[in-house]
Amino acid sequence: MATYTRKNAWNQNGTFSNSDLLWYAKGVRAMQARALNDQASWWFFAAIHNEYLSGQTTFPGWAYISAPPAVPTSPLPSQSIRDKFWNQCQHQSWYFEPWHRGYLIAIEAQIRAIVIGLGGPNDWSLPYWNYFGPGNQYKIPPAFTQLTLPDGSPNPLFVKARYGPRNNGDIYIPLPPVSQDCQRNTIYTGSNAVTPNPGYGGPSTGFSNAGSVSGNLENNPHNMVHTYIGGSITSTDYGLMSDPGTAALDPIFYLHHCNIDRMWASWNAAGNANPTSTNWLKGPAATGGRKFVMPMPSSRAGWVYTPNDMKSLSQLNYVYDNLSTGITKQLVGSLAQRLTKLGVNLIQTQPQPDENMDMGGNSEMVGANEGALTLKNSGARTAVRFQKEAWAKVPKSLMNASVTKVPDHVYLQLENVKGKMDSNVLAVSVNHKLAGHVSLFGLRKASSNDGHHGGAGLTFILDITNLVDELHLNNALDADSLDVTISPDNDIPNDEEITVGRVSLHRQPQS
Amino acid sequence: MTAAERSRRSVSLLIFVLSATCWGLLLVKPAAVKHCFVTGGELSRTSLEILLLTNPISPMLAGWGLMVLAMMLPKLIIPIQYTCERSFKNRRFRAASLFVLGYMGVWMVVGALMIGGILGLTLFMPGSYTPAIVVGIIAAIWQFSPVKQQCLNRGHNHKALAAFGRAADYDSVLFGFEHAVWCVGSNWVLMLFPVLLPGGNNFVMLAVTLLMLSEHMEAPRTPRWRINLSSKLIRILFAQTSIRLARS
Repeated sequence: MATYTRKNAWNQNGTFSNSDLLWYAKGVRAMQARALNDQASWWFFAAIHNEYLSGQTTFPGWAYISAPPAVPTSPLPSQSIRDKFWNQCQHQSWYFEPWHRGYLIAIEAQIRAIVIGLGGPNDWSLPYWNYFGPGNQYKIPPAFTQLTLPDGSPNPLFVKARYGPRNNGDIYIPLPPVSQDCQRNTIYTGSNAVTPNPGYGGPSTGFSNAGSVSGNLENNPHNMVHTYIGGSITSTDYGLMSDPGTAALDPIFYLHHCNIDRMWASWNAAGNANPTSTNWLKGPAATGGRKFVMPMPSSRAGWVYTPNDMKSLSQLNYVYDNLSTGITKQLVGSLAQRLTKLGVNLIQTQPQPDENMDMGGNSEMVGANEGALTLKNSGARTAVRFQKEAWAKVPKSLMNASVTKVPDHVYLQLENVKGKMDSNVLAVSVNHKLAGHVSLFGLRKASSNDGHHGGAGLTFILDITNLVDELHLNNALDADSLDVTISPDNDIPNDEEITVGRVSLHRQPQS
Repeated sequence: MTAAERSRRSVSLLIFVLSATCWGLLLVKPAAVKHCFVTGGELSRTSLEILLLTNPISPMLAGWGLMVLAMMLPKLIIPIQYTCERSFKNRRFRAASLFVLGYMGVWMVVGALMIGGILGLTLFMPGSYTPAIVVGIIAAIWQFSPVKQQCLNRGHNHKALAAFGRAADYDSVLFGFEHAVWCVGSNWVLMLFPVLLPGGNNFVMLAVTLLMLSEHMEAPRTPRWRINLSSKLIRILFAQTSIRLARS
């Protein structure tokens, strides 16, 4: 029986009548009162995720963030402490889920210790913000927008640099494009009929640092929610949540991630398995990378953990009051539906491929545009030209589709997307039909020459299989190219630009 | 293991085999290939003419090229995989070859300059450890400098590649060229050090190869002065050995 239960932040209408939120606010205030170099401070924990504390001469450098919160930039901890704890966040990696689970456990322990010290409940737990919940729950809980606590003191949950999807301070999550479709996926890494590449949890992270693609849970809703909460005013003032280097300064960060953690737990509870590869279970240390390590109230030397320690709530001391996401698995029949749509006469007794398996074969590029695109407010339009020999395999696989010859999946890839403003979402259309949205969360870091990607930027994969099926059914696949338009959700300031290195088209045969 | 991982693994294996072949040739020393190492005392005080007669440029350049291939090919696994994945299937081999061509082109120019320097040192300081000691000191300073870290970081930048026709060929060569520029920036002095040693060159070359591969596999870091002797390769070997022992 778990000791701690994480509950919905929208209980008692998301106000300070919800004691979880009131105690959270008091805990945040106590942590914010501590110095930057205190391993139990709010600022230190934000830097564990990521930081802009050196080499910045303008926003988003922490010195240039508009208060509240008043973010300190000194005293810095020693270099060895920084090297050990800071900038650990795992993105575009299959470690995204387990690393953040441990991160939540660590800050929850810090705040619980403060709550207990202040005479609060011994079992205080981090609340989650389920923006997919009914009624008004797509809006930020009101406790985060109040200027003061019930006792009249300043509310530490209030953040100035939180602008929302319309950049006007109205914080809500637009549904759609934010969705929990990823909950229908059935495999953590790989692809099949209900799981687009690179899989629910993200691409496997090997011996090098070549990853630049987010997993499906990370891509949407995680990244999208970050961007929409953050919003932007100008290129020198955008929401803290929009950028991984400032995100964890905003107290809403942990409630958002608590919901992402809940979704992962829900996905597992629905019978979906986490990786069993030792390289995942042992964490990055198995491939020569950094260990996951967090300061804890009981151990400032650090609590070291691995994905193996995080893989199931049953081995941890907390539960969620509700794991329901309202998404039902479409395990049975999703492939059959596609085949039927493509005109295949299915025999009821015919065995179908196991949809809990990775069925994706070797991807092959079948088309690409020419030249990089520069996005301005009006967006950009390009023709993704087919390479005839390669592309011919796609209509052929659709023509010959059967249970034993599962047709190709088709993906549109936006490659080497670079820029400095993370606070934007791009809408991508193919032949005037919406193919999907991508959030630019992490763009600045990925575009920095000294960042984790060496300046290569981000790459996005959009599953356009259904769209291509439609084109096939409408006899519209004989053209030489696809017409792709990319439109930014927010204005791009004149002094900024977002570039897309290439737009390419890929087929992935299914085994 | 996903299909993509299997495909990457086969590319890695092929490159390791090629690198091992180059190492084998370096050790066997065929006639058309001559090591560009500073040679022993038998050339003492000889004229440049005789020196060039005994150390013809072409075999020395061939030796240099072979040395670069042997030492650097394992470092090219990720960019070659990237080049293949971002090229049409029928252009993958061509794109990867052009990438290597661009990469080797830069190193051969650097090699020609280095060989010139080595010949000069051989002429004036035959069999001496002094050049190696001086270069070793420079190597240590460079190794710990922010400039070296900047070069290492930029080696992780994989550029967008054109897909069609001559533009695709050009981009593959350019990608190789740019990758080599950052590779030279981070490793030039490490490459120079073993060839200046009057003896034990192969052993030092192997050690330098492992160090370069190890630091290439590290994630980019903020450039600053730091003691920078990457242990990533050792950490991988240790972790993977532990995993396999635990399984058995």
